[in-house]
Amino acid sequence: MANAVQDIQIRHLSRRFTRADGQTVTALDDLSVTIKAGEFVCLVGPSGCGKTTLLQMLAGLLRQSSGEIEAQGKPVLRPGPERGVVFQKDSVFPWMRVIDNVEYGLKCRGVSKGERRERALHYLERVGLMQVAQAWPKELSGGMLKRVAIATVFANGAEILMLDEPFGALDYVTRHQLHDVLLDLWLDGEGGRRRTVIFVTHDVDEALILADRILVFHSGRMVEDLAVTLPKPRSADDLVLPELVNHRHRLLQHMGLIRPAAAKPGQ
Amino acid sequence: MKPLSPSRRRAIGLIVLLCLAAIWQLLSMIYPAEAQPGEPMIAGWQVIFTKTLLSLSDYWQGGLGVRSVAEGASRGYAAACLTLIVNSAITLARVLGGLAIGTLLGMIGGLAVSWSSWGRRIVNLPMQFLRTLPLLAMVPLFQLWFGTNLFGQIAFTAYGVSVIVFAGTVNAVANIPAIFIDNARSLGASQSQIYRSVILPGILPGMRSTILLALGTAWSAVLGAEYLGAQSGLGYIIVYAQQFAYLDRMFLVALVILVFAAVFYTLFDRATRKLLAWAPQTSRREIAR
Repeated sequence: MANAVQDIQIRHLSRRFTRADGQTVTALDDLSVTIKAGEFVCLVGPSGCGKTTLLQMLAGLLRQSSGEIEAQGKPVLRPGPERGVVFQKDSVFPWMRVIDNVEYGLKCRGVSKGERRERALHYLERVGLMQVAQAWPKELSGGMLKRVAIATVFANGAEILMLDEPFGALDYVTRHQLHDVLLDLWLDGEGGRRRTVIFVTHDVDEALILADRILVFHSGRMVEDLAVTLPKPRSADDLVLPELVNHRHRLLQHMGLIRPAAAKPGQ
Repeated sequence: MKPLSPSRRRAIGLIVLLCLAAIWQLLSMIYPAEAQPGEPMIAGWQVIFTKTLLSLSDYWQGGLGVRSVAEGASRGYAAACLTLIVNSAITLARVLGGLAIGTLLGMIGGLAVSWSSWGRRIVNLPMQFLRTLPLLAMVPLFQLWFGTNLFGQIAFTAYGVSVIVFAGTVNAVANIPAIFIDNARSLGASQSQIYRSVILPGILPGMRSTILLALGTAWSAVLGAEYLGAQSGLGYIIVYAQQFAYLDRMFLVALVILVFAAVFYTLFDRATRKLLAWAPQTSRREIAR
């Protein structure tokens, strides 16, 4: 049933930067991978490994040096509402009330006032922010601002959702609450169809709880492609299950946190 | 520090003003030197509001049923007040006219140039020159270009204001965090939609401080123009008084200007507060500086 046209096809994708001292740095090196429609993919790796660069190119905010990206059958050349982004930093417009932020993309595309308000309120309710619909963003906490950003991209009807370390700056409890919100929205897409989610994180446990598939990056190359089969939603408790323990060990090895020779405890 | 309630702040402001007035009075008493007989270097308040104010009736040229001193009338408070009112109105017209035209031109120019990064690059260097060029250096040139009439003075003031507003606008656009523009683009906004919904509201805090700065510039430009060639206005009274060492008149007119500047500031602050209700307190405090 997987529709190949809906997949994201990445072929020989590279991105090089020229640093101020004239040296060329390869942020992403000849990546080829297919992300299936409806997949929840986590990109994991230490900082500087190329995962944010990849996300920015997928979003159309950064041009590749070479290679191709195809999303929904079309080459990615510029940003578009079908590919929503939740940024690492706060992106909610401070000069618009919360509800107007959530409606923004719809308004830009000429959706009628009544319809966009209805959609915005629906998603604000899903992220638990009905009571602050009329508030200014400055009155909200960091976690609430992330919820607004998530509601905004979902309300905008994005088929592909990209999140760049969205919860990195949040506390443990808020982060897990937002995992639930995100999974809930992902499991229950419009028309019964799941959206594709690409989630950048450097937090191994976060990836294990969220992902169907984990792509591990190191120095601009994809070094591992792990499938996580444990059914979702998962909780922090599930991290002790054998599948996740094994995956975790592999991931930590890739990040250089466990020496390959070191014996696994209890084995 | 704990923020004070508005009434508390106003009370403190009033006390400070009264203290300054008292210090002035004290200075006038311990330093009674005179520039010429009957003209104290530092005039006390009892002089300012009687003899000095009355002396302003010398400038009244008659009309409105109040005869001028030149026509044989003795000095009176009616003629003095009319002098202040008429000359203030002339100066205010120059300030407001120059401010309005200069702000409009500067903002339109700044926004137009900021449309593309090439526009910004091209104007960057000439803009730095214009900003550092002393405004008063241009007075004689503007007088010859546009004349010493109202039009010339407004043109000069508008020039001074527009340079500041132009630079402030370009700066404010450049200072909008790129993430807001990325966010708008990825949500599907077009370039013109980004200009309307991100750039215009995003520059408001910066524009507010820029216009407050331009307000000061407008006053300087108008007074500069009035010092050099005008035959009316508050600046003209000051220069005329200087020729005869009427220090108390200069001080009284400066006070009047101070009052106007304070009123402008307060009105502008009130008018823009609602527009900036969204801005976090920290950035608003920066603006107030």
